[in-house]
Parts: sequence; structure tokens; C-alpha cells
Amino acid sequence: MMETKHFVIAGIAIAVIIGLVAIFFASADPDGLESSALVLQGDKTLTGETPPDAELTEDLHGGFSYESPMPDYELPDTGIPGQVIAMLVGIAISFIIVLGVARVASGKKEAKNG
Amino acid sequence: MHIPDGFIPLLQTIIYWIIALVFIALALRWARKELSEEKVPIVAVLAAAIFAIQAFNLPVGMGTSGHLVGGALAAIILGSPYAAVFILSIVLIIQAVIFGDGGITTMGANIVNMGVIGGFVGFYAFTGFKSVIKNPYISAGIAAWFACFIPALAASVELWIAGTFPLVSGMVAMGTYHAAIGVIEAIITAVAVYLIWHARPELDWSTTEQVDLGGVTAA
Repeated sequence: MMETKHFVIAGIAIAVIIGLVAIFFASADPDGLESSALVLQGDKTLTGETPPDAELTEDLHGGFSYESPMPDYELPDTGIPGQVIAMLVGIAISFIIVLGVARVASGKKEAKNG
Repeated sequence: MHIPDGFIPLLQTIIYWIIALVFIALALRWARKELSEEKVPIVAVLAAAIFAIQAFNLPVGMGTSGHLVGGALAAIILGSPYAAVFILSIVLIIQAVIFGDGGITTMGANIVNMGVIGGFVGFYAFTGFKSVIKNPYISAGIAAWFACFIPALAASVELWIAGTFPLVSGMVAMGTYHAAIGVIEAIITAVAVYLIWHARPELDWSTTEQVDLGGVTAA
């Protein structure tokens, strides 16, 4: 059995590798929901390619908008380094917050089934 | 399938938030009851990996791309749909608040779709297929496909109620794309379950008998 410490290190390493590879190789095509919206607003056929100038109409019902600090997983106007930073920040924050919440929520009870 | 702000009217988003909060409360209760200290770092590393892999959009043809959502993966690895609710809720909050992926008002709907529906479909499809075809990894893959496809249909119904998508063509488009994206979900989930359960065989609750929490019996 892989020790927990090694498991965590291996897991984080895999996450970082996947995240960094994603920056260079991830598809720029819209995802399933965006593609569906483009089809339904008449800018794309169901099985056809997505036109490069297709724009998603987002503010359909109005009333709320929010500017995130790192939209689209990058620091604005910083290119690849900004994307790397955003990815590492995202992985680190996900790990730390889930670790913290899980630790508090589980009540730090003793591991009884180890 | 992160629904952005503006796709669902505010009043309706509140309803999804209420449903999401009920399941988040249940997930916290699951964590208190079932989550041993041993498993806490494993839950955290799973969340970090799901965050990273969600950024990796792979082409599925038809001018579309998709990525793993991870609801089935979390639920199968940790043996509870609430594990998916727990992990996906936090990952979705981080994605929306920091990276603008998925809306703030629609976060409740996204948690319901990917965390709750994805987690429950993934978990129960897994136990169902596992009892028939025995192989846990193939079962995990098939369950993951459903855990991608069914939430996509749920999202298209929500967007129809919202007046954003028409019902039939919305379901056809969402269903078509996520049937393809589900193949990604299936393959990655099957491989990840295989790797994780081989690295940590004690996590495999599906083949070994449930170890008693008191450590006395392995009935």
C-alpha cells in the first residue's frame, strides 16, 4: 500500500503535470454547454465546426455580473506565465480548502480503520 | 457544463441554491460520520486533481470540447455520492469565484447538476453495473458516462424552465455533445479508479467487505 504522504505527493504531481500540459494542449473549442448555446442562437450547426467568430450571448436575463480575479484561468494580459500561475494557484487552493474543510467537518476524529 | 450567470433568472437560481445547500449540509454530515482522518488528505488531493483535469478540454469533434467533471470519480473512489457533493461543491465555488468559470448566481444549479446529480448517478450506476458485470473498472467507466450525460440533460431542462433553451432542440444538442464528452469521463474515471485502488487497496470498498469502523470485525 502506498503511504498517504507518498499518495498525496504523487497525486499533486499528477495534478500539476495535467494542469501544465492542459495550458499548451487543451482544446480551444467551446464546451458542450457553450456549443449547445451557439447552436440554439443560430451560430453553429449541431455537428459542424464552430466558427471562430462565434460569440456566446450570456446576459440573457440580466441583473447580475461578476468579474473574477483570474478569468479564463489566467492572470489578465500575462500570457503563458499568467496561465501557469493561475493553474498552480487553482490546484493549491483546491487542495488547501478541501483539506481544511474536510479536516474541520470530519471533526479530526481518530483514524480507527487504519 | 458550467452554467454562466445570466442563463437562469435570479428567482429560479435561488431554488437551485436551496437544493444545493440541503445536499451540502448532508455532505458535511457525511464527512463528520464517515470521513476518517486517514482519508482527509486523499479527499484533498482528489479535489486538486479534479480541478486540474477540469481545465484540460479535449476535442470531441463537432467543433466541441469537453473535460472530466469528476462526480462519478469522487463518489466511486470514496464510496458515497456525498463525497462527490463535498468535493465538487468546493471546486465549483473556487472555479466560479476565482476563475469566472460558471456563474455565481447559477452556482447552486451547477452544484446540483455536477455534484448532486453527477455524484448520485455515478455512485448508483456503479453499484448497479458492478453487481451485473462484476468488473469494477468497466462499471466505473459506464457509470461515469451516465454521470456526464444525465446532468447535461438536467441542465438542459433547467435552461428550458429558465426560458434560455427550447426543450427538444436543447436536449438534443446537450445530449449529443455530452454523449461524446461522456466517453472522456468514462475513460479517465476507469483509469483513475484502477490506479487509485491499486495504490491504496484499502479504499476499494466494492470488492472487499466493508471494514467495520470499530476495527474489530471485517464482517
